[in-house]
Amino acid sequence: MAPELALVATAVALPFVASGATPLVYRLVGARTGYFGAAVAIACFALAGSQLGRRGAVGVPWVPSMDVSLRFYVDGWAVLFALLASAIGALVFVYSASYMADEHTLARYYATLLAFMGSILGVAFAADLLAVFLFWELTSLCSFVLIGHHTDEADSRYAARMAMIVTVGGGLFLLVGIAFLSIAATEALGARSFDLAAMLANADAMESSLRELGLFVPTLAVVAVAAGAKSAQVPLHFWLPNAMAAPTPVSAFLHSATMVKVGVYFVGRLRPLLGGDEWMVLFATVGLATMTAGAALAVVATDIKELLAYSTASHLGLMVAGFGFQSVYGAEAGAFHLFNHALFKAALFLVAGIVAHEVGTRRLAGLSGLWRDLPVTAAVAGVTGLSMAGIPPFSGFYSKELLFEAAYEAAHAAGGLAWLYPAVAVFASVLTVLYSLRLLAIFVGERPGAVASVHRPSAALVAPPAVLGVATAVVSVAPQLAVDAVVEAAIGATAAESPDVHVGLPTHLTPPVAMSAVTIVAGAAAYPVLGRLQRAIGAVVGATPIARPNWWYDRLLSGTEAAGPRVARTVHNGLLRTYVVWVLAAASALALAGYAATTGLVPAVEGVRVTPGITLVLLVAVVAAVAVVSAPSHVVGVLALSILGFMVAIFYILASAPDLALTQLVVETLVLLIFLLVLEQLPAFYADTDRLVAARDAVLSVVVGATAFLTVMLASPDIGAEPTAIARFYATEAVPAGGGTNVVNVILVDFRGFDTLGELFVVSIAAMSVVVLIAMRNRGETR
Amino acid sequence: MKTTARIMVPIILVLAISLLLQGHNLPGGGFIAGVLTTVAFALVYVAYGLDYLDAGVLGRDVEPGRGIFEHRSVTAFRRTFILGLAIAVASGLGALAFDEPFLSQTFVIVESIPIYHEIEVASALAFDLGVYCVVVGVLLTILSVVGAE
Repeated sequence: MAPELALVATAVALPFVASGATPLVYRLVGARTGYFGAAVAIACFALAGSQLGRRGAVGVPWVPSMDVSLRFYVDGWAVLFALLASAIGALVFVYSASYMADEHTLARYYATLLAFMGSILGVAFAADLLAVFLFWELTSLCSFVLIGHHTDEADSRYAARMAMIVTVGGGLFLLVGIAFLSIAATEALGARSFDLAAMLANADAMESSLRELGLFVPTLAVVAVAAGAKSAQVPLHFWLPNAMAAPTPVSAFLHSATMVKVGVYFVGRLRPLLGGDEWMVLFATVGLATMTAGAALAVVATDIKELLAYSTASHLGLMVAGFGFQSVYGAEAGAFHLFNHALFKAALFLVAGIVAHEVGTRRLAGLSGLWRDLPVTAAVAGVTGLSMAGIPPFSGFYSKELLFEAAYEAAHAAGGLAWLYPAVAVFASVLTVLYSLRLLAIFVGERPGAVASVHRPSAALVAPPAVLGVATAVVSVAPQLAVDAVVEAAIGATAAESPDVHVGLPTHLTPPVAMSAVTIVAGAAAYPVLGRLQRAIGAVVGATPIARPNWWYDRLLSGTEAAGPRVARTVHNGLLRTYVVWVLAAASALALAGYAATTGLVPAVEGVRVTPGITLVLLVAVVAAVAVVSAPSHVVGVLALSILGFMVAIFYILASAPDLALTQLVVETLVLLIFLLVLEQLPAFYADTDRLVAARDAVLSVVVGATAFLTVMLASPDIGAEPTAIARFYATEAVPAGGGTNVVNVILVDFRGFDTLGELFVVSIAAMSVVVLIAMRNRGETR
Repeated sequence: MKTTARIMVPIILVLAISLLLQGHNLPGGGFIAGVLTTVAFALVYVAYGLDYLDAGVLGRDVEPGRGIFEHRSVTAFRRTFILGLAIAVASGLGALAFDEPFLSQTFVIVESIPIYHEIEVASALAFDLGVYCVVVGVLLTILSVVGAE
């Protein structure tokens, strides 16, 4: 059944509209704006849910001449992602209403959060690659504002900037990938197109077209970088832990259902298109590496949110690895784990927020026995934490089991080194069990005396994680229910073959079941020696700063910051003549390079006929030019310059270009007048001429002159040649179409009116710049 | 200088306006007319100073001691180029009302007018008027602000 355009478009547009209305709503209801956001999110949830089970593309044209349209593609995968984002969005809004109640910039916070949710829904439903890119970058932009919510804290600004640079940088790679796909579509679909739905429908043709063009591996690589940056895959994972500087509800939203899942979502989306051996090697390896590194770093984390952030990276690695494996189990693992992880990780982040809010610290060390004071929170943490660890019969177990199955299948099929896949997966899972137990340890046992008093959290704070905890519990008890409802359709959209998914507790011993058993036993056995393990991992991490991407990021940033002023001092040194040198040299170099690349630098000179009159005028002009340079005083120089200008005007008249001549004359007069104005102000003596500077200026003038000469020679048509089609069109159509016999003017105001309008704006901007520059100088603004 | 300006400025202004109006069929147009008008104003400016336009021609009082940016003439110049941009864009938008693409132009020939017999009215003239206003406003703004330095 085809999806309803109106419903899908409303689901995407509603959060943006609401975002625009947020400041107004905030003025009316204040901190309770969170409930307004929740209502919007629930409406989006309902709209997205109404499309469940539908499949197909709908849209309206946007830029028809470029075949860009606002197209939406609906299938199980898109609906699953949209449902998760809006559902968890609603809970986060409710939670924010009480968690953020004391903050000041709430209007901005809620407006950005709504726009962020809208961007996520946009990514989920967009069927046009350019629209995907647009929404993709919008999520980066919104997350920048959200992570940097505490604008007065250096940490927060640092984290926001890092997230922005990494994810927007990744977005640029996506843009390159989109260009590649669109080039391949020229052959596969018959026309240059950005239509993702059509590409997915013709996946085989697209793949062979990409391979033919030699673009398959490059496309794969840039898409991997884009998704890796967004989904915090090694080695671009480092922004995610820093992003915990954001307010806790934002972290819950960012890390569970939205920002970081966008990369995974896109990997799943392109899996039918780009799947192959290269795909598996790339994504399975990167995913498992991230899974291991994230889990190891989570084990040594000292802060609850830090632990959860690294754990998010690890679980994203699991999903990417799942999609990397080619068997249908891989798609099952990726899609089902995306669903499970969204539920339990959002709940755990909200729990971390409650602990920080009520206990006053997020440090893992020294916390224990919180179940006495926070019983409901502890119960939620228990269910979701065990699910994160992958302990049966909790929900995370089923999806991890599917990953083990996919890894085992891949190793069994390929043999050799591929056996590393299941081995690494098991190792990373052991670490996962370890850090999950470490997290749960803060709730069990006796409360230490150091923790003074624990407040009771309000119902509005506990309800959202409780809802997620109940949802996790339901999926744990009856996983088949969730699979049948939403997950199976999603798997179908990301896998080549149609799936037949059955999940449940194992009834007999298979290799994946054995792997799970090993994981749990080893994790439980290693827990008593956790301290020693932490020291060992910490020593490895601490001993090799050069291996940490964060170190490289800082070096790159400080290097850029230091290089900026150095370049500025050279180019932008406050002397007008330096600016002129740079501008003229750059313009000449670019123009000459352009000629060299296209038509060649040597113009064809033949049959140049010059009348004696023109020769005489030009000779006078040359003499005047020499006089300008060697003039003893400014007055003589200006007058000589005017002679030069008027000679050019006369040349135009002789060459039958009255319009140009008129313009030249008028402009020349104006220039002369302006010179008369400023002549008295010019100093009579500047300085002794530096030979080097003089030589540089001479070379530059020769180059500029040569460039202008070449431009004229290359641009003017041969004397004997027929006028081009465009010239003929202008000459013949000027009177019937434009109603004017002055062809130049008709071109300016009629045929090429748009160009003229653009020039008008340029001229106006120049005037404004002059006014602003002089006004600023008078105000004496310094740094 | 002042005598020359007295004689020249009216001639230049009339010439500029004729160039603007005839631009569609004979050499001329908004840009040239604009620059020429600027020349006329610049001549007044060089000969009499910026305040003359206010005090001498329009008979208004000039408040001394205020910055160049608050000067009445400069404000007027700035308004001129904003008006020009508005005219140009509006003339382009006008085409949309007739279901034509933005900025498309047309013309009508009005018959039986005394003396001229027939006059061609081109919609492009409105656009050219916008060009004229922008050029005059921009050049005079720059000239007066930089000149005041």
